[in-house]
Amino acid sequence: MNESLLEILRCPLDKAELTLEDAEYDGDEIVSGTLVCTECGERYPIEDGIPNLLPPDMREGTPA
Amino acid sequence: MTERTADAPETDASARRRLVRERYGDLARTDEGCCNGTEGSDDGTDAQSLSVGYERDDLERAPAGANLGLGCGNPVAISALEPGETVLDLGSGGGFDCFLAADEVGPDGRVIGVDMTPEMLERARANAAESGTDTVEFRLGEIEHLPVADASVDVIISNCVLNLSPSKPQVFAEAWRVLRPGGRLSISDLIATEPLPERVRTDPDLVGGCIGGAATADDLEHWLEGCGFESVRIVEDREWEATHDGAAVPVVSARIEARKPTAR
Repeated sequence: MNESLLEILRCPLDKAELTLEDAEYDGDEIVSGTLVCTECGERYPIEDGIPNLLPPDMREGTPA
Repeated sequence: MTERTADAPETDASARRRLVRERYGDLARTDEGCCNGTEGSDDGTDAQSLSVGYERDDLERAPAGANLGLGCGNPVAISALEPGETVLDLGSGGGFDCFLAADEVGPDGRVIGVDMTPEMLERARANAAESGTDTVEFRLGEIEHLPVADASVDVIISNCVLNLSPSKPQVFAEAWRVLRPGGRLSISDLIATEPLPERVRTDPDLVGGCIGGAATADDLEHWLEGCGFESVRIVEDREWEATHDGAAVPVVSARIEARKPTAR
């Protein structure tokens, strides 16, 4: 994912902003890292460049 | 007073999401057609897409492999995108409509695809890499819980996905939230021309095949207007072949359009 898109990404639960932690880049692209909700603290992984923003109860069974 | 259909409290919503995700995960891996039994060949996929409203040129503009032949209309064609707009695709699958939309909104626009199926997103991301476009982004998410900021999107598109949601009013409420004032909704989907019987609405194959969860135009209109959408237009597009136990199921493909007012 592109860092510029962070500005419109939100936590799917409470729609609060997300901060990026442990980011690894390939050029401009964030290929892995964690998005953390500034409100509820829920952590959303970025894997292979795709942020997994499924609500936690839906994340089971997907590559976390 | 008719009973509101297709919002399926009677089927367990999370079980339904799992069913849909498993089915579309398999489709992403195997290239099998879904909605009308197209075979997995490129020719079959192309023919299916041409039959629901895409032009030959559309098929050539998007990366090979982005089109899985799973749509029932061409939401990009009806959405009249302008350069610079931000587009959100609900249930983006292999990313086909996202790439077509990216072409329309140009280098100053952007397109975000949300899908809950990891296998679909892997395909979409590979397709994005192949196309070299940097204005299309994909994320794993649920259309009932959009991971997108309020009032940040100009146009929402979606192709043959809304029917799969067990919580359609919630999808519309989320669409309303993320659209900017004046933003618009441009959806292709299957709709029921009369309320579907319980046995059709709960048949897993028909639900996963975009038939069982089809809502009526009355219900869709009611839910959209309930959110505050205006200029709601639901136009039947084409006949759709669907049967259950040998009997025809009354579904057609349709365009569903609505606008969020500029001022309330």
